[in-house]
This record gives sequence, structure tokens and C-alpha cells, in this order.
Amino acid sequence: MLREITLGQYYPAESVLHSLDPRVKLFGTLIFIITLFSANNVILFGAVLITLIGIIKMSHVPFSFMVKGLRSIIILLIIAGLFNLFLTPGKTLASFWIFTISDVGLKNAVLMTSRMVLLIIGTSVMTLTTTPNQLTDGLEKSLGFMKKAGVPVHEISMMMSIALRFIPILIEETDKIMKAQMARGADFESGGLIKKAKNMVPLLVPLFVSAFRRANDLSFAMEARCYNGGEGRTKMRPLKYTSLDQRAYICIALYLIVFYSAKVIL
Amino acid sequence: MSIIKSKNLVHEYIRRDEEGNVESIQVALDHVNLNVEPGQFISILGHNGSGKSTFAKHINALLTPSEGTLFVDGMNVSDDEFTFAVRQTAGMVFQNPDNQIIASVVDEDVAFGPENIGVPTDEILKRVEKSLKMVGMYKYKSHSPNKLSGGQKQRVAIAGVMAMEPKCIILDEPTAMLDPDGRKDVLQAVHTLNKEKGITVILITHYMEEVVDSDYVFVMEKGKVFMEGTPREIFKDVDLLKEHSLDVPQVTLLAHELRKSGLPLPECILTREELVNSLLQIKNSGAAVTAAASQATKGGASAIKSATNELILDHVSYKYSPGTAYEVTALDDVSLSIKEGEFIGIIGHTGSGKSTLVQHLNGLIKATDGHIYYRGQDIYDKDYDIKELRTQVGMVFQYPEHQLFETTVFKDVQFGPKNQGLDEKEQIKRAYEALGLVGLPEEFYLASPFELSGGQKRRAAIAGVIAMKPNVIILDEPTAGLDPKGRDDILGMIADMHKKRGDTVILVSHSMEDVANYVDRIIVMDAGKPAFDGTPKEVFAHYKELEVMGLAAPQVTYVMNDLKAAGFDVRTDATTVEEAKEEILCYVK
Repeated sequence: MLREITLGQYYPAESVLHSLDPRVKLFGTLIFIITLFSANNVILFGAVLITLIGIIKMSHVPFSFMVKGLRSIIILLIIAGLFNLFLTPGKTLASFWIFTISDVGLKNAVLMTSRMVLLIIGTSVMTLTTTPNQLTDGLEKSLGFMKKAGVPVHEISMMMSIALRFIPILIEETDKIMKAQMARGADFESGGLIKKAKNMVPLLVPLFVSAFRRANDLSFAMEARCYNGGEGRTKMRPLKYTSLDQRAYICIALYLIVFYSAKVIL
Repeated sequence: MSIIKSKNLVHEYIRRDEEGNVESIQVALDHVNLNVEPGQFISILGHNGSGKSTFAKHINALLTPSEGTLFVDGMNVSDDEFTFAVRQTAGMVFQNPDNQIIASVVDEDVAFGPENIGVPTDEILKRVEKSLKMVGMYKYKSHSPNKLSGGQKQRVAIAGVMAMEPKCIILDEPTAMLDPDGRKDVLQAVHTLNKEKGITVILITHYMEEVVDSDYVFVMEKGKVFMEGTPREIFKDVDLLKEHSLDVPQVTLLAHELRKSGLPLPECILTREELVNSLLQIKNSGAAVTAAASQATKGGASAIKSATNELILDHVSYKYSPGTAYEVTALDDVSLSIKEGEFIGIIGHTGSGKSTLVQHLNGLIKATDGHIYYRGQDIYDKDYDIKELRTQVGMVFQYPEHQLFETTVFKDVQFGPKNQGLDEKEQIKRAYEALGLVGLPEEFYLASPFELSGGQKRRAAIAGVIAMKPNVIILDEPTAGLDPKGRDDILGMIADMHKKRGDTVILVSHSMEDVANYVDRIIVMDAGKPAFDGTPKEVFAHYKELEVMGLAAPQVTYVMNDLKAAGFDVRTDATTVEEAKEEILCYVK
């Protein structure tokens, strides 16, 4: 059951998106999110949607794979939608028992949930086409300017890539410890919230102990291989812009200009 | 000039209390003097806690000496100036394959070292390719390490060190967590590096078989080097080694026993060929050879007293992720019956389905097809109490000490009985009994489980399952990661417990030699199916087929078969050193 988590999953395929520089993809995603949240009418929203569909087509990643990410947050989406639907004041459209649906509420609910859906699909296009290492490299490079302000950019990106490497290992470990405690009669399913939380102790303590042990081992292994922070490090595959990336940047700029001109005109 | 030279090296682990006062001092290295010449293949042997890993960490400048000096290629490791140069000269591979791989792609991990020391980009690519090819992992270069086997991961780790172009490579128990196949591959890779590239190798291990091919051996105990010499010199003194509970390769042990019984064998035999040739010489030289028929069948397969079936598996199949592209058949139509009171060994290499099989027996995994009966009842029946089954069929997982969580050992052992809903008095009684059965000294009962040594932790964890008084106990690789002494202790304890309690014991392992000495019946799993099922003698008769499956029969089985092939009329079904000795003596005397 735990194996189905698709956090930061990469889908290997040959596509334009896969071969783009991660910095371009990060920038593109940022622009996508900005436009998504400033689209406040059907036409603009439609434009964002069409752009996204085009990008998904270009990525060669099966659509079913992207929707997978949605499954885990579907409850969150429904709750957010319902809150907007029932709790926004405005002109009453319908009412039953203690619930009223207003026109603003209906609009907000639809807009809110579709924005969230697009947001998640949009960002998963990026993670599905970028390997975790590329992603952290990209972040390290694009946030490099923050180093001057004392932000440990290299360390943060190193932490992220180590976290991504160990997530599957720790998931497997959780599965194993869970089974081992179940074999001793532990119960992780029944009971109320407090009892459930208490029952997690036999799972969480060993998991933490193991995580610390691994961290200790790993730090020795990294030191043994001469790791000494970001200073003086070279890269096997340094990020280098190609003409493809330039064209992508131009496309993103054009998209931004067209979008905002349309917004002003409409 | 020696590449590694230590003089009176001392290392103390100092424990301080909160105010910084010294609480206790543990001397891990006690005046170690040791010399290694370039290009040598060196082995360091010793128990867990003998100081061998501490010594290794010094060579890599991960620890600095408390006293004495250590020079690596002429550089003093205590000198901060040389720290990185030392680490580059003497690369290190650790025990746990998972905890030393940093990147999420194989080639990026190999590049980690060169990147750290600032090698230019083009050169890194060349080095990564070269190192991966050296260990035979080039075709996996864009794989995720999570998809590799333990042996493959260790070879990636070796490549990662080689990419830094060291003169010397230190391997700290690199095979302790691997199955026989993985061990073979890793050792082969290391020997190739030594022979073809002239890399100095320092192999730290507690497997004696791995030491036989090295140039020089150091044996450590309590922080001191207590024996050193060529493997031949070391293994000459079998009695001394045994006294220090160090293992001796089975062939050497057999030769030693035969010598003691009066056969004129040369001192210290290390390989099968040597033993067979020496025995042939004795035979040809006309030593009184009686063609006495081999001894009458010994006790043979111990008949199982009760014939009650405890567990029955009826055409059980299990598939991971059925219906998707990732579908894997882990169990393929397995039918088996396990009788009450049997002591069974289930053997197979990693991925053969042995762990999946045993997890079915207490309902942790539900079969995709087929039925399982416990004492006549179908455990998949709707109203069957699966929680009750789990108390009847106890399961000790691999590395069971990783599941300890309570503040004291005693409370941890109580966890199972508590979940069974027993009252406090009964819980305490059960915990006492169980801790007594596993032989954990009473002074540890109220200690934190995290303060115990590896072997003691494992005992405590096993007690946690025994406290539930199961009728069947399944142990998944109970000896993994232990040194020979720990291994023998745990196996002895399990056998003893079996005798005392008369319960059904299922031992899952990939080590034939471990299992052969203890169990009545062996089930060999291969590709999700039982390939062989019978007494150890019956199973090991198929030693050639076993080898194809990546499993090895005990060394003595090979010796007996070699002898037979060389014209000795001996029976080949001996599975232990004792039996082989009797058989050979019977023939040669």
C-alpha cells in the first residue's frame, strides 16, 4: 500500500521536455502557476488549460500517470470545494436544510478546484520529466544568487537529493517494521484517533532509530569520499544551456506577453 | 616503502557525561603495529568489536589516533593537511550497501567522489565509465540503485572509490549483508582490481573462506593483533583459532580432524584440491586401505514422531502488482505440508520467494491463489481469526533487533503478550520465560534495548516473539550480519529451544552450511517454487543443480564428491565435517 506513493517520481521517456534544462522547466512552471492564478475568466482559464494540454502532449508521459498524483489529495480537493461552495456569502441560488449555495460560492468552488487540479498536474509534468538530481541541480543553480544572502543553497539541495534517494528505502523499511510488529500482535488499523496515534509508537521509534543509524553511516561514507561542502566541487554533467533552452525561454516569454495583453484587453 | 605503516596505534572511545567529565574509556585499538606493502592483498580477521573497523577508519582518516602514528603512503593521518589526500589514496567501502550510495542514479553516484575532489568534467566521465567497467556494472549506469541487488550495490560502491583513483582500497565487511552469489561477485571484483590494476586491498571480514586467497592475514582481538602471517601459517593453528571462536574453512577443519585421527596429512590444507591430492597420495603409498564397506546407515533421516500436519499449503501462488506491467510472480503454485515438531530449513538466494513464502504462513501476505490450512482450518475463511493465527505462528524477521522500541528489554518482550490481551502477571511470566530461553543474562532485562550488543539485541528480539508462545516459529535469516561466534550461538540457541519446547521451527537462510548442521528437512526455493525437498543428505546430493541456482552445498559435500571422482569408494552424502571424517577414516584406515 505504501509503495504507491509517487512523490518526485520520474518517468523516463524521450521528449523535448525531458531534454530541456531543469532551470527552464522550473522557470516555466513558475510562470505557469502565476498565470494560472491570475486567470480570472473563462477565456484566460481556457488559454492556460490549452497550453497545459499542449505541454502534456509534448512530454510523452501517459496522462493516466499524471492523474495518479491527484488521487492522494482528492479528499482535500472535495473539502476545499465544499467549503467554498457553502460558506461563501452572495446571492442565494439554492438552499436546503442549513446549507445555502450562493452564486459567488459556486463560481469560487469551480475555480478553486480546477485551479488546484491544474496546479498539481502542471507541477507533476515537471517532476515526471526531470530526474531528482537534475531538479536539485537546477534549484541549486537558479537559487545561487541567494548564497550571497547567506542561504546555504548547496547544502539544501544536497539534503533534498539525499532525501529523495532515501524515501523509497525508508518506505520499504516502514513496511517491514509494520509487518514485524503485526506479527507480534500490534494493531495499526482499529481504534480512535488517540489510540491509533499511540499504536504508532512501535512503528515510529524503530523507524527513527534506523534513520539516524543510516544518517550516521552515510555521513561517514560521504566523508570517506572527500565530501567537503560545495566549495571546489566540479560536476559530471554541469548544466549548460543549449539552443533548445533558448527557444523554450522565448516561448515562455511569448506566452507571458500574450496572456497579459489578453488580460488587459478583456 | 610500505603503503600503510602503523606504529603503536592506540584509539580510545571516551564517553563523557553532560558536564564533560570522563565517564568511561573504551580502548578500541591497543598498540597496533602493522605494515602493508603496495600491491598486497591483506585480510584483517576478527570478531565484532575486535577493533578491526576502528582500524579501518583510521586508514581513511575518519578517526584520528589517540596515541601512536599511522602513515598512509608516507602521509601522517593525524596531520589535518593530509586528510583529503589520505582519503583519496585509501578509499573505503562500507558494510551496508544502502547507506553508502548518495545519488539516485548509478553513474552519478560513482561521479560523487571525483566531483568532490574537483576533477574536470571530461575526466569525470572517463573515470566513471572506466570504474564501472572494472566492476562489471557499466550496463547498469543509468539504473536507480534501489533496483539493484546487494552485491550489485556493493560493486557500485567499489566503482565509486575506484573513480577517485586510489592506490589502496579498504573494504569493511563488504559481504556481511550479501547472499552467496553477491559475495562471489564482489570478491571477484576486488581480486581483479588487485591483480590487474595492482591496487592494494585491505579486506576486513569474518568469513574465513574469503581470507584463503590473500597474501597476508592479521587476526585481531580486543584491539590487538594477536596473530599474523600467510593464510597457511594462520590456519595451521586450528585449535588456537577455535579457542578464540574463529571459524576455519571446512576443508581445513576436516584435514585437521583427519590429522588428529592419525592420517599422515601435511599441515594446513586450504583447498579441496590439496586435500583430495594428499589423500590420494596416502592411498597410493599403500597405507593400509581397507575396502571395508562404508559404515551402515546411520540414524539417517530422523523420523518425525507425530505425523500431524501443522501447516498445509495448497497450490499457493502470489503475484506482486498483479495486472500491471510490473507484475512479478513471487510464488508459483506451491504445495507443501509442514508437520508438527519439524525443524525445517528453507533455502534460496535473494528473490527466490523464500521470504514471501514464510510471510504467507502467518497471514501477513495473502495469496493471490490457493489455500493455506493451519491445523486443518483454512486461514482465508471469512470468520478465521487472523490475529490469533499470528500468535500461533510466530515470525522473527531479518534483523529483528531493528524492531525493538521500548524503554527496557523486558517491556519490549512484554509487547506481544500484552497485545494478546493477557493480564499483567501472565505477561511478566511469559517475558521471564522467553528471556530465559534465549539465554540473555538477567542484568540486561531492565537495560535499554539500544545499549545491548548486536548478538544480545537479536536474542531480545527473538524473545519478543517466543513470549507469545507460538506453536510454529519462523526465523528469517536469524544469523544475518553476525560474526561466526554470534552465528553459532544463535543457531545453537534455536536448536536448543526446539529441543526444549518441541515446537515446529522454520529457519530461512541462504547459507547451506549453517542449516545442514541443525535441521531435519530442507526445502530449496528457486524461482518461486520448491526445487528440492528432503533431508539435508538428499538435498545436497543435488549439489551441482544447487550451484546453478546460486547456492552452494557445504564444502565437505564437494570434498566427498571430489574424492569419489578421484577413485575413492566413499559415500558422498556427508553434510558435516564430523560425518565426512568418519567416512574417510572408515575407508582409509
